[in-house]
Amino acid sequence: MKKLLKHHETYLVIIIVILSAVITSRNANFFTAENMFDLLKSNSFYGIMAIGVLFVLISGGIDISFPATATVAEYIMAVVIINMGGNIVVAVLIAVVVGSILGFVNGLLVYNFRIPSIITTIATMNIYYGLLTFITGGKWIYSLPDWFRSFAQIRLLTFYNADGAAYGLSIVTFIWLLVVLAAVFILRFTLLGRGIYAAGGDRKAAVRAGINVFFTETFVYTFMGFLAGLAGVVQALLVQTVAPNSIVGKELDVIAMVVLGGASLAGGKGSVTGTLLGVALLAILQNGLTLMAVPPVWYEFFVGVVILVSIGFSSLQAKKKSGNTSVIELSLEEAAE
Amino acid sequence: MKKHAGIIILCICFMLLVPGLFAGGQQEAADGELEIATVVKITGIPWFNRLEEGVKQASSELGVKAYQIGPSDADPAQQVKMVEDLVSKGVDAICITPNDAKALEPAFQKAADKGIAIITHESPDQKGKDYDVELIDNVKFGRHFWDMLAKYMGDSGDYAIFVGSLTVPLHNLWADEGLKYAAEKYPNMNLVTERIPCGEDQELSKQKTLELLKTYPDLKGIIGFGSLGPPGAAQALKEKGLDGKVSVVGTVLPDHAAPYLKEGSMQHGILWDPKDAGFAMTWIAKQVAEGKAITNGMEIPGLGKVMLDGDVIKVDAVIDITKDNVDSFGF
Repeated sequence: MKKLLKHHETYLVIIIVILSAVITSRNANFFTAENMFDLLKSNSFYGIMAIGVLFVLISGGIDISFPATATVAEYIMAVVIINMGGNIVVAVLIAVVVGSILGFVNGLLVYNFRIPSIITTIATMNIYYGLLTFITGGKWIYSLPDWFRSFAQIRLLTFYNADGAAYGLSIVTFIWLLVVLAAVFILRFTLLGRGIYAAGGDRKAAVRAGINVFFTETFVYTFMGFLAGLAGVVQALLVQTVAPNSIVGKELDVIAMVVLGGASLAGGKGSVTGTLLGVALLAILQNGLTLMAVPPVWYEFFVGVVILVSIGFSSLQAKKKSGNTSVIELSLEEAAE
Repeated sequence: MKKHAGIIILCICFMLLVPGLFAGGQQEAADGELEIATVVKITGIPWFNRLEEGVKQASSELGVKAYQIGPSDADPAQQVKMVEDLVSKGVDAICITPNDAKALEPAFQKAADKGIAIITHESPDQKGKDYDVELIDNVKFGRHFWDMLAKYMGDSGDYAIFVGSLTVPLHNLWADEGLKYAAEKYPNMNLVTERIPCGEDQELSKQKTLELLKTYPDLKGIIGFGSLGPPGAAQALKEKGLDGKVSVVGTVLPDHAAPYLKEGSMQHGILWDPKDAGFAMTWIAKQVAEGKAITNGMEIPGLGKVMLDGDVIKVDAVIDITKDNVDSFGF
């Protein structure tokens, strides 16, 4: 129990449980399989990008450009499948290849010029987005192919509610699930994953330890681009409209979810579980505010309060720990484990 | 040296390119035809691309040299500079949708000193203009949404409102006017919650609609201001098999709304056509530049009779978009 309390994730779970209980007491429709599956579907887009941001944050960087990357990948994908046809595999391939290339450029710039990643990616965001607006003239795309439309409606598990409307595990949620599994695998079980943590924790030490920082750094930005491209496809599947300005502006929401999940802006810290909980917390909160009939003018206020409370809890705990424990006690504690 | 060569080549390319970009505007007007420039808030978005079509139509139909320019983002300072440039160039009239009414006043004064006509759009209280053109009456426009919603869902029952954000002036003005009107005319229509700021984000509108359905099971209608609100709502309704049972009325671009109107998950769109605004501004600018008077009840070709209210010209050019006419607009 005591060990559990040391984890940031534990506090998130507690807050999510309390929040869910409050919402359910006000509106029983919250805690239903239908609402949960709806939430999982509509948050897949955020969830996929959050995993990418997690990797970049762990490696000690930050990426602001991913919504622009997602938009460019989504737009190119849409133009190609409308004009040349194809299938869902082709669509995903185009988007992730474009996304990966743009992400790779970010990685190269950050590694070679050692410009702070926030500046680099603000610059590339403007370049990617600016070029897209210039070339497309801001034109929206509505007429996506029928096969693209019907793919979005695939469900792996189907249930029916009282009114006979179908719901269930959407293919879109399944894509998110695959991304999560891949992320856990890379971070937990590969040398690359260890290298990302090491480079973010202490870059110099990582270099001395023989970790290829060039590889880890370009990998995290490329992976971010890859996932941004995938998220772009998911967004297009969800809304069936591609508008050049529909994703840009969401970067801070996603970064907030990941930081809420315990990733450190200073690098070296963060977990997939935490990130999922961060996404879940903000998603449930947004969902719950409407379900509890809270007037919309209060939405932002409550989002701010919940972020502060969740971060505050675990920071306070961390502070208590570092304040109370002397070096010897710490080593004893570690020995006891 | 190699490095310098690169820079020099770049400079030369730049110098070669830049005059080319502006050359279109610099050709002398042939045999004294009027030159009328339109300055929009921002270039490269669908709304003003459509407005430009009206300007081009006016150019060919009215025999004037009319064209459209605008800043790359909605920047008041850039607009001021563009107006000043047009004044020094000596155009005959300037049509403009201002980003900032106040910032433009000194530039308009300079134009007036040189006898250049100024026609504004979406800025009825603008100082220094000759005329302002409005294609909708905001009060009537707002009320129209409630009339249409009542037509589809009946004059009693629960409904909700989407706006682009709580700070978009026009959306909230329409909502205010409509609610005042509904309080008297449709007392049995019940707004379930305050207006929800999601109308500029289709995915968010979809999510909010799903949540509304779970919170207010008797919901019968949604009014959406902001062009992405109604399609998002329609998608959610379709997904839950409630298309047609909950009515959706809102501002939409016709081509975007077409699939939803046709499948019946959305009932009615209300908008005005920016192309009409481009045409109307240029038409009025031509009248003023030629020294002709604008009078109450005179007719703008293709748009109908005007109502003159001081120096504000109102034309009732609201378009109703339904499944039957949605393909006829071409935007």
